Amino acid sequence: MKKLTLGVLLSLGLMSGSALAASAWTGGDDLPTNPLACDATPGAAVAKPYDGGVPTNPPDRKGKKITVVDIPKLIGIGYFNATSKGISDAAAELGNVDAKTDGPTKANIDEQITFIDNYITSGVDGILFAANDPVAIAPVLKKALEKGINVVGYDANSTPDARQWFVNQAEFNGIAKSLVDNLAAEIGEEGAFAIVTSTFTTPNQARWIAEMAAYAAKCHPKMKWLETVEAQEDNNLSFNQATTLINKYGDELKGILGMTSVATPASAEAVTQLNKCGTIAVVGLATPNAMKPYVEKGCVKSVVLWNPVDLGYAAMQVLRSVADGTLQPGATTVKAGKLGDLQVINGSEILLGAPFVFNKDNIGQFDF
Amino acid sequence: MTASTAAAAPIGRSNLQRFVGGYGQEIVVLLSIVALFVVVGAINPRFLSDTNINSIFAGNAYIAVAAIGMTMLIISGHIDVSVGSLIGVIATIAGTLAVSGYPIWVAWLVPILFGIAVNAGVGALVAYMRIPSIVVTLGMLSILKGGLISATGGEWITDMPPGFMIAQMRLFGIPSAVYFMVILTILAALFMRYTAFGRAIYAVGGNMEAARAAGLNPERTVVGVFALHGLFAGIAGILFATQLQVIQSTVPPNLELTVITASVIGGVSILGGTGTVIGSTLAAILFACIGSALIFLNVSAYWLRAVLGLMILATVLADMIRRRRVL
Amino acid sequence: MTARLLFRHETILAILTVIALFVLSMLSDKFFTVDNLLNQGRLMSEVGLVALAMTFVIVTGGIDLSVGSILGLTAILFGIFWQSLGLPIPLAMAAAIASGTFAGFVNGLIITRFSVPPLIATLATLALYRGLAEGISQARSVRGYPEWFFFFGQGEVLGVPFQLWILGICTVIAAVILAYTPFGRATYAIGANETAARFSGIRVDAVKLWIYTAAGFMSALAAVIFVSRVTTTRSDMGTGLELDVITGVVLGGTSIFGGKGTILGTALGLILIQALKNGLALSGVKGDGTIVVIGVVLIAAILIGAIFDRNRGG
Repeated sequence: MKKLTLGVLLSLGLMSGSALAASAWTGGDDLPTNPLACDATPGAAVAKPYDGGVPTNPPDRKGKKITVVDIPKLIGIGYFNATSKGISDAAAELGNVDAKTDGPTKANIDEQITFIDNYITSGVDGILFAANDPVAIAPVLKKALEKGINVVGYDANSTPDARQWFVNQAEFNGIAKSLVDNLAAEIGEEGAFAIVTSTFTTPNQARWIAEMAAYAAKCHPKMKWLETVEAQEDNNLSFNQATTLINKYGDELKGILGMTSVATPASAEAVTQLNKCGTIAVVGLATPNAMKPYVEKGCVKSVVLWNPVDLGYAAMQVLRSVADGTLQPGATTVKAGKLGDLQVINGSEILLGAPFVFNKDNIGQFDF
Repeated sequence: MTASTAAAAPIGRSNLQRFVGGYGQEIVVLLSIVALFVVVGAINPRFLSDTNINSIFAGNAYIAVAAIGMTMLIISGHIDVSVGSLIGVIATIAGTLAVSGYPIWVAWLVPILFGIAVNAGVGALVAYMRIPSIVVTLGMLSILKGGLISATGGEWITDMPPGFMIAQMRLFGIPSAVYFMVILTILAALFMRYTAFGRAIYAVGGNMEAARAAGLNPERTVVGVFALHGLFAGIAGILFATQLQVIQSTVPPNLELTVITASVIGGVSILGGTGTVIGSTLAAILFACIGSALIFLNVSAYWLRAVLGLMILATVLADMIRRRRVL
Repeated sequence: MTARLLFRHETILAILTVIALFVLSMLSDKFFTVDNLLNQGRLMSEVGLVALAMTFVIVTGGIDLSVGSILGLTAILFGIFWQSLGLPIPLAMAAAIASGTFAGFVNGLIITRFSVPPLIATLATLALYRGLAEGISQARSVRGYPEWFFFFGQGEVLGVPFQLWILGICTVIAAVILAYTPFGRATYAIGANETAARFSGIRVDAVKLWIYTAAGFMSALAAVIFVSRVTTTRSDMGTGLELDVITGVVLGGTSIFGGKGTILGTALGLILIQALKNGLALSGVKGDGTIVVIGVVLIAAILIGAIFDRNRGG
């Protein structure tokens, strides 16, 4: 009798679950997308007036030593270790910046806000941030601007008026195009693929997925998007999720897209351990060090990423220029030390460059 | 209507009924697993493929192993909310030793000893200073987590020697992690049932003063059970560390919740005194199956956690209804 | 005698807090300023509100792990009610708070009706409520609230953050209920010995139901303030809140076994934690170091309390 009760409960649970199954296009946000052209034509840059914020009565910091705090989404992952390295490299090179990185141990909007709030009170001159949520972080950043602090974002943006500049590693539609094109090249125009992402609420990932959906629909209409699964920023969970996808779809699955620097190597590991190298392609965003074993073995052909060390470096250079007053609203380029001149886009964003594709030939040259 | 009253099977019933009364929760969980396999297998036969079953078991064996120790701890009337952080620390120590050129057995053994030592210390604070275990381990959670990030900066550990990767080794095509899970569960179950120390754990959890009156040393038992829990957490940490080619050297998110949930769903009364390690291992397997099944059934990932919560609730409620009937 | 022992823990805690405040203000001249302290009060309001209800829960010998998920669910429902259903903000607020309260009521129902241990029941609803938040929102955030709504999370009344007033009023009410009313005495009695409480005519189930419902209500209230403070709604809001709350309550001397604990202790515990987080950050200690210090302080405070208890009680 009890077994029956349980059985009924269990199957009810499963059925209600299946009934709720939505379309496979999961994981995107609902903002408008802007897919690039299918060939290599660059996207049209629309000139836009400066839409960033302005600090209230900042003291004259030109050439003076400044203290800067960098508050990434979370500390303790390879990606933000790399940006942090870039920031301290730039600080060392500039010589008149005292920079440190601090932040929450998990990507949590509330904790990140508290960290920024505390550093505002402690009286820093500049704040670098990578936002866990573009809107949630805005009030505290505006508070920083009101106190005359220079605020520059990188990696993950806030609403424009809450910071002065944002260093954009690569445009969302550019990343989306690069990922989908590389995947299509490996699995063919009619291949089926699945996505492993961090969480559906992570803004950058959601944006990329939305852009990928738009770009795939436009340029690779026959590719089949099976589903998207969440795996936090957790190695073992990512591995388990990727393994389950492979087991579920069998030969139908031709490719896995990893949306985070954790999900991509874990997916590659799953493919390796299940002896599917060569039959299931893994393409994704990842840091080269984590991917070297798989790329060198030939299990993974292309890894897409910008250079996060350069991203941190550029953010620090931009902050120094803002503090010195050499970067003013309306500028079209900014000097970023060894990176040369970087272009200003979208009013108040500074573009690091096009996304970089690591492969067997070049991955050995990078160490981050 | 507490669990301990339910576990004491009433006299004068048939053997079957007594068996069901004593192992009720284990049977419920086992049947759920079977039901899950039947239903999901019918919808998508690939769920029953040996690779998938291997993946389900091997990928989550470390959770089951950690849940064995947690179960013993909860039976003794205590809890450890820091187990996820401890496993993260142990994995990091193991990986660091392995890449620093120490012999592989050192890289396996030292972290396990570390786990035992830390938890014996926690146990001493709990037993002799009378601090509630949830308080000490809540503190340890912060200390281990913060300490780990301070020490490593979250630098990933890669390039570990192939001989170190014990969880990936296979015997007869079955990953070694599965053997660990099965053998440790059986050993622990025998230990809990047939050794004096095992029975002492139940006695202390049931009633500390009664245990003392019966000539046991409850303090020593508590330190011992914490040390045992450290041992299992240590083994779980090694399995966790060697599952993939990379160790994240941070604390795995929400792992403590998963481990505790497996223990309590497996039939351990949070009030102490009852429960078995077989139940917790079955519950860990059940969770792993649910996680995999939901993907197989195309449950929209947005609803995944809600369905999981509903199923935990259904299991618990079914058990509570069953206990009322048995009584 | 129990009352005197209790008093001791709060005394120890108060002394610890004063020492911490003193040391921290020596380490950084930015710490002990009115601006900073009020701002810290703002930041701790959500945890504080939930901790008040959690004190009751833990005094009965129970626990509620689902508070963070209720916060997330309430936040999402508030956003949905306002944006998708087009309710005016005050109505959406009321409806969302009612839903969060109902979530707490369901916890209480599972715990009292089905005799499920609170830890297990709320472990399940922790997953369930968070899952509902994710499912209902489809992981999309709700933004673009009108400016006036931000008053609850960012505004000030007589120079003091709005939510600090709420927290203050709620603290006083909670303290009075727990210490001076029959309901408070029933709460202690249940925690001390539930069976005895039942036999002495206390309506144990009703009291518990009220308490878990109140925990839902406080989490829901915190949700609205949180949304107003950060101007957006996300389904992952309040993740991990339960641990912060429980740490505060336990540091405040409430016994996890039930029967012991005061609102004053909880308030002191919360203040000590917030002061450490903020003060250490201002004196240049990094976040990971601060976590370690909080862990040590938690164990140490309870250890000192235990040693004192022992010397007195024998």
